[in-house]
Amino acid sequence: MAKQQEYDAIVIGGGHNGLVNAAYLARAGLKTLVLEQRHVLGGATVSEEIYPGFKFSVFSYVVSLMRPEIIRELELVRHGLTILPLESTITPLPDGRYIYRGPDSAATFRNISQFSTRDAEAYREYSYAMYHMAKAVKYILSIRPPDPTSFDPRELLALLKLGKHFLSLGEENIYTLAKLMTMSSADFLEEWFETDPLIATLSASGIIGTFLGPRSPGSAYVLLHHYMGEIDGVFRAWGFARGGTGGVAEAIASSARALGAELRTEARVAHVITRNGRAVGVALENGDEIYAKRIISSLDPKLTFLKLVDRSELPDDLVARVGKFDSYGSSGKVNLALDGMPDLSCLPGYGEHMRGAISISPSVNYIERAYDEAKYGRFAKKPYVDIIFPSAIDPGMAPPGKHVMSCFVQYAPYTLAEGDWNSQREAFGDAVVDTLSEYMPNLKNLILHRQVLSPWDIEQTIGLSGGNIFQGELSLSQLFFLRPAPGYAQYRTPITNYYQCGSGTHPGGGITGAPGRLAAIEILKDAGKVLQ
Amino acid sequence: MNAAAMNANYDAVIIGGGHNGLVAALKLARAGRSVLVLERRTQLGGAASTEELIPGFRFNTGAPNANLLAEQVFALFRQHSPAFIMPAVRAFAPQPDGTGVTIWRDSERTAMELAQRSASDAKAYWEFARQLDRFAGVLSKMAQLRPPSLTQNPARLLFAWARLALQVRGLGGKDMMDFMRVLPMGAATWLNEHFESDAIKGLYAAYATTGIMQGPRASGTAFMLLYQHMGGALQRVVQGGVGAVSGSLAKEAKLAGAEIRTGASVARILTTDGRVSGVELEDGERITARQVLSNADPHTTFLKLLGPAQLEPRVYRRFRSLKLRGSSASVHFALSGAPQFLGAVGHQDQLQGDIIISPSADYAEQAYDDAKHGRLSAAPVLMARIPSLLDSTLAPARKHTLSVTVRYAPYALAESHWDAERERLGDLVLETLAEYAPNLRTLVEDRRVITPLDYEREYGLSGGSEMHGQMGLDQLLLQRPVAGNVGYRLGGHAPRGIYICGAGGHPGGGLTGLPGLLAAEQALKE
Repeated sequence: MAKQQEYDAIVIGGGHNGLVNAAYLARAGLKTLVLEQRHVLGGATVSEEIYPGFKFSVFSYVVSLMRPEIIRELELVRHGLTILPLESTITPLPDGRYIYRGPDSAATFRNISQFSTRDAEAYREYSYAMYHMAKAVKYILSIRPPDPTSFDPRELLALLKLGKHFLSLGEENIYTLAKLMTMSSADFLEEWFETDPLIATLSASGIIGTFLGPRSPGSAYVLLHHYMGEIDGVFRAWGFARGGTGGVAEAIASSARALGAELRTEARVAHVITRNGRAVGVALENGDEIYAKRIISSLDPKLTFLKLVDRSELPDDLVARVGKFDSYGSSGKVNLALDGMPDLSCLPGYGEHMRGAISISPSVNYIERAYDEAKYGRFAKKPYVDIIFPSAIDPGMAPPGKHVMSCFVQYAPYTLAEGDWNSQREAFGDAVVDTLSEYMPNLKNLILHRQVLSPWDIEQTIGLSGGNIFQGELSLSQLFFLRPAPGYAQYRTPITNYYQCGSGTHPGGGITGAPGRLAAIEILKDAGKVLQ
Repeated sequence: MNAAAMNANYDAVIIGGGHNGLVAALKLARAGRSVLVLERRTQLGGAASTEELIPGFRFNTGAPNANLLAEQVFALFRQHSPAFIMPAVRAFAPQPDGTGVTIWRDSERTAMELAQRSASDAKAYWEFARQLDRFAGVLSKMAQLRPPSLTQNPARLLFAWARLALQVRGLGGKDMMDFMRVLPMGAATWLNEHFESDAIKGLYAAYATTGIMQGPRASGTAFMLLYQHMGGALQRVVQGGVGAVSGSLAKEAKLAGAEIRTGASVARILTTDGRVSGVELEDGERITARQVLSNADPHTTFLKLLGPAQLEPRVYRRFRSLKLRGSSASVHFALSGAPQFLGAVGHQDQLQGDIIISPSADYAEQAYDDAKHGRLSAAPVLMARIPSLLDSTLAPARKHTLSVTVRYAPYALAESHWDAERERLGDLVLETLAEYAPNLRTLVEDRRVITPLDYEREYGLSGGSEMHGQMGLDQLLLQRPVAGNVGYRLGGHAPRGIYICGAGGHPGGGLTGLPGLLAAEQALKE
C-alpha cells in the first residue's frame, strides 16, 4: 500500500496511557489514530481468555490509581467501567495465625490486637496519616514537571508554585514527606509498628514493581505511590474492574472511539518517519506508511528513543541517558485456572477473605532474602506473592464453581545469572506453586492450567523493555523532572511533533492514565488548543 | 582545680573533647566567652585519637586521616598547627588475581594505569573524576552552611543558600540535573554508568558505604561517595597521628583561655525553667553554664544526659527512632616489618594511602547481606592504612602500624555478642588481608580489636555509630540529627541553650570540624 490519508495525530501503542491520550486528543477535535501491535488493546491493562472459559487479568491486576478526573472527563463509567471493591488483605503465617485487614475496622482492630494492641491503635493513625500524605502529594500527579534549569519565567513560576505548595503542607507533613522520599519502607513502618508480619505486608507496597527490598532506601516513596489510589474519593481503595483489568482499557477505548478516535490492532509500528528533524508519520512492519501532523509514543523510553527513531536524530546525551535508564523488571506473574477454590489452612472455607488480597509476606527478612537472591540474578525460591481471585470478585471471570487465581510474584530478575527464562520459566512457576501450597495445601490438585510470565515474557508479549511494569524504576533519580531524562520530562522530544505519553514519563507507572492526560495537555498546547 | 571549677560559672560548657568539641571551644574562647571542655576519657580527641594500644606502636583508633578537614578549621591554627603529609596515592586496591588498581592524586597517572585494564574505563575515569570533583565541591559548600529551617531563617542564611543554589545552577543545565540525579542514587548504579571493570567499581563502593548500614546498591551511597571526596582526591595524613589535630586544637583553645578537663564524665544536663543551667558530673560536682554544647552523639545528649522527661513526646519519638546502626569495627596490628601486597610488590608508595579490599561492588553488597541479617560479613570490605610508612614516629625503627577498618560489623548481632566475637573478627581480618599480602602473617607481633560495642563503651558512640547517627538521606540537613531541630538545637518547647556540636549535627561525621564550628557560630549569636 502506498501513502495513506493524513491524521492529526498517531498514537503508538494501545496501552491505557496511549488510549487516554488519544481520547483527549480526539476530544479536542484532532483526527487521531491509535496503532497497537497486538490483536487486543490495553497493553499491560488487558484481560484474555488464556484457557477456555477462564479470563485472566494477564498482567496488571488491580485498579486504584486511575485519576478520578479522567474517569469523569472521559465518562468511563458510562462506557462500562465498573470498579468492584477489593477491600481486605489477609497475610497467612507459617505458625497458622494470620493478619487480617478489612473494611470492618473493628475486625481489623481485633485481629491486629492479637499481635499487639499498640499496633492495632497505631494502624488507625497510620492509615489516617498516609491518607493525608497522599492527598498532600496528589497535586504533583496533576502537574507537568517544571524545568529547574530553565530561566524562563513560566518555569520559575511553576517551581515557585511547587515550593509554595510544599510549604503549605505545614512543618510536620513536610518532615513526613521528606522521610517518605528518602527512607526504606521497613524503616518508615517500624516507626509506627512492632509486629513484623504486619510491617512486612505493609512494606510490600513499597517494593512492588521495583528492584528494591523493604529495607532499601527509596522503597518508602513507592509505598506512598501505591497509597495515591483514589476511588470515588476514597484514598487507598483498591478495586477490581469488572471483566478484569481489560475492562479499564475497554472503557477508555470505547470512550476514545465515541470521541472519534480510530483504534487499529495488529498494526506494529517499525519506526517513526522523520523529515529534517520533524516527525511526519510512521512506517508499519507490513510496509504501510501512515502520515500525521504529530506522532505520540506511549511506549517505554528505550523503545521511544532508541528503537522507533534513528539515534542520529537525537542529541548524544539523551541517547546515553536513555541507554542507562534503569528499567530492569523484578516481578513475574503466575496465573492459574482452578477447578475450585483452594483452602487457606489458617482460615479454611470460601469466606469474605477470599474476595480480597492474600499476601505471602510472613516477615521483612523473608522478603529481604527473596530480594538478596534476585540481586545476583536468581529468582526467589521463596518469593513474596500478592494473590487475588478475580473470579471471586467477578463471577464472569470463570465458569461456575471454577476460579482464576492471579499471583503477582517478586523477585524475578529480568537478567538471570545462569540459563535464560525459556529454561527457567517452569522452575520459577514451580517455586511459586510450592510456596503457595505451604499455605493452601490443596492448591496443586485444583490446577487446570498454569500461565507463568517472567519479566522476559512480559517484554516479549507487550514490549515493556526489561519487563519493568512501570516502564522504568520509580527511583528518586528517575522521577518528576528527571523522568525519563533531564530536560525531556515535559512529554516532548528533541524531534519536532514527536511526543511521549507512557509510564516512562511523569508521574510514572500504575493504571493512572496521568501521563497520557498530561501529555495531551502539552500536545494540545503546541497545537494551539486547550484540553477540555 | 575542682575547687576552682565548682563555684565557677561559665558562658559555655562543652561535653566531650572530640575534635568538634575542641573546635567549638576554640571558636567560643576566641570570641571572649569563658569555656570549659569536659572529656570523659583521660585523653582528648574522641574518635579522632592516636593511641599507644601496643607499647611502642601508636594507632589512629578512629578517623584515619584529615582528608575532610575544612579550610575554616585550618584557619583556626595560629601557634600550633599540625603537620600534614600528602602522599601521591589516594587508594590502592589489590585484586584476587594478583593485580591491583591505584588511584593517584594525579588523574593522568591513574587513567594511564587503568588503560592497561580497560581502555574504556581509562576514558571514563576522566569524566568520572571531573563529576566527582564538581559534585563533591558543591557538597562541601553545603557542608559549610548552617542548614536552613522551615520556620525561622535569618536573612543572611537564606542569602547564603540562595547564592549556593545559583552556584548549583551555575554548574550548567546538564551538570545541575546530573547532580540532582546522582545525589539520591545507589553508588553501584552510578559506577555502572561509568565503569566496566569490577576492580574500580569495588574500590569506590568501599568509600560509598562508609558509616552506612547499607550496600552500594542502596540509594544514598552515591551521596556518601561524594561526601568522602569533599576534600578532593587528596590524601592528607597527619604527622604524629590524627590525634595531633585534636592536640593542636586543644593547645590553641587553652591559649585562647578555654579550660579543658579530662577524666570528667558528665552525668546530666541541668535545666531550670526551660533553660539549660549547667551540667552535673558522675562524681556529683555541678558546673553552671549559660550554654551547653554537646560533642556527644544526639542519642546520648538528649535521651541520656537531658532525659526524655524534658522532651515533647513527638520529639522524644524522633530521637528514639534515630538510626545509629554502627556497621564498622577496626583491627590494629603491630608489624615487625612492612607488608608486601600483591599488585604492588616493590612499590611501597602505592601503600601510603587507603588500601582497599573490595574487589567488586557485588562483593561489598554481599558483605552487607550478611550484616543485614545480623552477621559479621564472611568476606568483609576492608580499608587498611599503614601510616608508619610515611611517619616513622608511630612505630619503633623498621617496624610498622597497620590499622584496618572492617565492614560490615553490625552493632546488633543476631546470634552472638561482640565480646564473644572479638578474636574471630581479628582472625577474619588477618586471613582476608593475608590473601593479598602473603607475608603479613609472619610480620604480626600483636593486635588490638575494637568492636562496635567497644566504640560505644570506650568512645561513647551510641550504637557504635561512627557518624553519631547513620548518614542516610533521611538523616541529613534539616533532618540531622532529627527533624525539627533548628541550627544545632531543638525548637519547640525543648530547653533552650543546648547545642549539638558533634557529628550528629550538619554536615555530619568525619574529621571536618564543621559541626563544631557551625554550632559555635550559632551559640555565639545567642
